Amino acid sequence: MAATQKILQYKQPESTYDVIIVGGGLHGLSAAYYLAKYHQVKRIAVLERQYIGSGGSGRNTEMVRANKRAHETLPFYKESLEMWDGLSAELEWNLLVQKKGLIALAHSDGEVDAMRMQGDAQRRAGIKIDMLSPQEIKRMVPALDISDRTALPVVGAQFHPEGGTVHHDAALWGYAKAACRLGVDICEGVEAVGFNVEAGRATGVKTNVGEISADKIHIAVGGYSSQIARMLGVKFPVVTIPMQVMTTELMAPFLDYYVASPRLHWYTQQTLKGDLILGGQLDPWQSWKSYNTWEECSERVASILEYFPDLAHARVVRSWSGLCDCTGDSAPVMGPSGIEGLSLDVAWGYYGFKSTPAAGKYSAEYIVKGKVPEKIKHFGLDRFFNRSRVREIII
Amino acid sequence: MPFLIRCPNCGNRNPYEFKFGGECKTSPAAGADRNAWCDYLYFNENMSGFQEEWWFHSKGCGDWIKIRRNTATHEIADQ
Repeated sequence: MAATQKILQYKQPESTYDVIIVGGGLHGLSAAYYLAKYHQVKRIAVLERQYIGSGGSGRNTEMVRANKRAHETLPFYKESLEMWDGLSAELEWNLLVQKKGLIALAHSDGEVDAMRMQGDAQRRAGIKIDMLSPQEIKRMVPALDISDRTALPVVGAQFHPEGGTVHHDAALWGYAKAACRLGVDICEGVEAVGFNVEAGRATGVKTNVGEISADKIHIAVGGYSSQIARMLGVKFPVVTIPMQVMTTELMAPFLDYYVASPRLHWYTQQTLKGDLILGGQLDPWQSWKSYNTWEECSERVASILEYFPDLAHARVVRSWSGLCDCTGDSAPVMGPSGIEGLSLDVAWGYYGFKSTPAAGKYSAEYIVKGKVPEKIKHFGLDRFFNRSRVREIII
Repeated sequence: MPFLIRCPNCGNRNPYEFKFGGECKTSPAAGADRNAWCDYLYFNENMSGFQEEWWFHSKGCGDWIKIRRNTATHEIADQ
């Protein structure tokens, strides 16, 4: 007889906590887990207005990678990528971590040069990266058309062998279960509607079920950070832009790698289940609405079909979109908010999922010690005022 | 298409014909300090609800127009 004990129990919030985390997504839950596990914080609440993982945590394309460019961010992404490896054992939950390798196609010599430069920065940070010739790509991805038939033929690629996928729902449930087991109160249906700030210090959260006081408040609300900013009477350096994603029907395994074209704004991978995930382009305008458009679907599919002509029979069966809080320099905002006792982990754009373990770890460290950890010192809000924006590129 | 934009020259058009120009902001006055300019350049109201915003009709008349759009529902207000 199998055990029927619940893995996770939701709670109603109490009136006071040591730390309140606003946002029950991956970042909020991982911060709660690291606070409870490594910093022995006793009374932690995670407030989620809908259900856990209802935002970007359950809407991303499950890609984990560290092939960014800026030297300020690379050590952080590298550590995050490595943390996924041990996480299934640590959380006692199979996250289906599959480091299958990521191939980013280049369609011109200029792109190859840019990828080489980027690769140098990545190698200096200790990230494995290689360049591939079209023939090597063809051996790895037989379904890919590398001929001159396409409008922009493939002339090379950057290979990131440690990149891959993690099941996002599994990661969410893993963190939620582990946090719950350590005594974290996960409160669904509890929405922050305001904050109590006295003499520049945050003392509590006003919610739809009453006021909750706390020593520390942590904001990890994904795409909704500007709503929190309005409650606090400040602005964040973000624009909320949706990203649309599609999946196809199930197919026999044919694609072993994550394949992306940064130039043509698409990426695709075949999940363990057999469906293809298709996506890669932010919507061309700001929006807070979840929707899918024919224009985006047809453009993305046409571009992918150009390089995978055998997929012409495949049907798109499902689509969705998620909100990305994009900063001008493609780096997040972490650490101090300018209000004492209130810390930030926001503005993650479309690179929040892969950052989950390290963001949770360093958020927890900052909340407890009050000193910005070395690895996130470039992510502060003050960088927009003191000429130290991160020199990241959009990929 | 998710909504229609009423261009004063071309009528109701598909938003994919336009380039989005962001929320309307007021630039700092002459002589404003650096922080005011940083705030103007990088920080946004990022409204969830009605906001006034710029759109460039790049595949139409080539005019920059201002509309009021609800970013949470895509409702366009009467001008």
